[in-house]
Amino acid sequence: MTEVILHKPFARLRFTRGARIWTVAIVLALSAVFIPAVWAQKEVTSKTYRSREREKSTGRYEQYEAKPRLYQPHIRDPRPRAELITLAPTAEKVRFRKYLADSHVGLRFYERRTCVSCHPQQARSLHAVRAKITCRQCHGDEPIAGNSHYNSLMHKRRKYAFVCAKCHKGSSPSFATYRIHEPSPLSLTTQKTFPVLFYAFWFMVVLAVGTFAAFIPHTLSWGLREFLPPTFRLEIRRYLPGKKKNNAAD
Amino acid sequence: MQQIRRFTPIQRGFHLILMLTFVIQSATGLARMYVGTGWGKQLTDLFGGYPNTLTIHKWVGLLMLFAFIIHLIYILATINWRGLPGSIYGPDSLIPRLEDIGQSIRHVGWILGLNGPPRFDRWAYWEKFDYWAVFWGICLLGGTGLILYNPVISSRFIPGWALNVLLWIHRIEATLAMAHVFLIHFFIGHLRRENFPMDLVMFEGGIDLEKARHERPDWVERMENEGALQNVLVAKSTLSLRVIYHVFGFAIVIGCLYLLVNAFLNAHRLMG
Repeated sequence: MTEVILHKPFARLRFTRGARIWTVAIVLALSAVFIPAVWAQKEVTSKTYRSREREKSTGRYEQYEAKPRLYQPHIRDPRPRAELITLAPTAEKVRFRKYLADSHVGLRFYERRTCVSCHPQQARSLHAVRAKITCRQCHGDEPIAGNSHYNSLMHKRRKYAFVCAKCHKGSSPSFATYRIHEPSPLSLTTQKTFPVLFYAFWFMVVLAVGTFAAFIPHTLSWGLREFLPPTFRLEIRRYLPGKKKNNAAD
Repeated sequence: MQQIRRFTPIQRGFHLILMLTFVIQSATGLARMYVGTGWGKQLTDLFGGYPNTLTIHKWVGLLMLFAFIIHLIYILATINWRGLPGSIYGPDSLIPRLEDIGQSIRHVGWILGLNGPPRFDRWAYWEKFDYWAVFWGICLLGGTGLILYNPVISSRFIPGWALNVLLWIHRIEATLAMAHVFLIHFFIGHLRRENFPMDLVMFEGGIDLEKARHERPDWVERMENEGALQNVLVAKSTLSLRVIYHVFGFAIVIGCLYLLVNAFLNAHRLMG
């Protein structure tokens, strides 16, 4: 039997032919398991590979949404703290999610949904419509933490540095208070959530409507008047009470 | 035919700059606002894409503000300071007067056939309204636009959420300005029967003497009584110039009406 003698410090190790065959066989078997999986990443595009190798290097984010997570993330105590947030009965489910490390935990059929399917209004922001920014570029990869979670990049204490500054260099905490997903100024609920926007909007609308309410009838009637003869007079007196007799006498 | 001069070359220059910058701002502003629609994308393509549209909007806005500052300097330079306050409150001034209220009521009465036409002086009440509406509009649009020009720097001095409010003010005031100019100003200036197809006074600088006697009898009589009429009589512009004025004016009017109609037709798409 041929033996392979290794140099120091492995001189005492001796591999028989059978051991070599088994070693090669095991390596090939492992390769059969792992190598195709590595190759397949280009096809399957796990979120980690996609994010690290493509999006962060090229700056070109893809249109589709984040894949759901493969593991259960650390979850902060989901029970709301009375001293931190005041819960309304109807808003409880929504509000406490703002404080979770994974704000979408427990949602049914989450892996088959997109951001826009549950948040259609948020997709109409100027960032999405004009700059074509996808949800994930700001809210990050899965698991998406609630905006008020202490580790979230979207937390108001660090959003300006970790999120806004990616495009708006030099942004400040004040800058981060800009409402990207601003409420509709037409909505009555905005009166409570963003009163300055609500009242400024309606002041301007009343100003515009008032201007047109005065000038459009004025302009149209003026245009029509110029088609009438210059001597045109509306004889109102003829229709006034007490004047009919005189007119009849005429 | 002799003409009486209403606007100096400098005043016509101001109007020309205002007109061109306003049209560009309207087109680029609507392109930005409607970029989510097919029509908005076509408009942005005209300016080389959305980023270029934004850049043009900002630079032309700065040009507009610069021209406004020059206009303010011009006003201050042309005021007869020794004759105050009569010099800025006279009939040649655009400052609103009490007579304007009476004339506007009488004008509405004439429209309704209740009385004869009012006797206007050099400036009618709607012309003063147009002037001060533009004045107010540039202050508001320019002020909000300047703050929105660089929101990162602006938010060092004001809270970021104020940008949401200022953007809405900017939008609504711009919409009001465009609708007023494209509908009311154009109609009164060019499309009503007495001025149709185009009133060239802002291009030529002068108005026909007979037309002035008809429309603004108090002005012509005042000039005659003061013996100043001969000093402001000017010759009518040549035929070639009038053709150029017409072509240019119609291009502006048609272009602006195109913007207005498409903005109206696509408005429902903005609501989503």
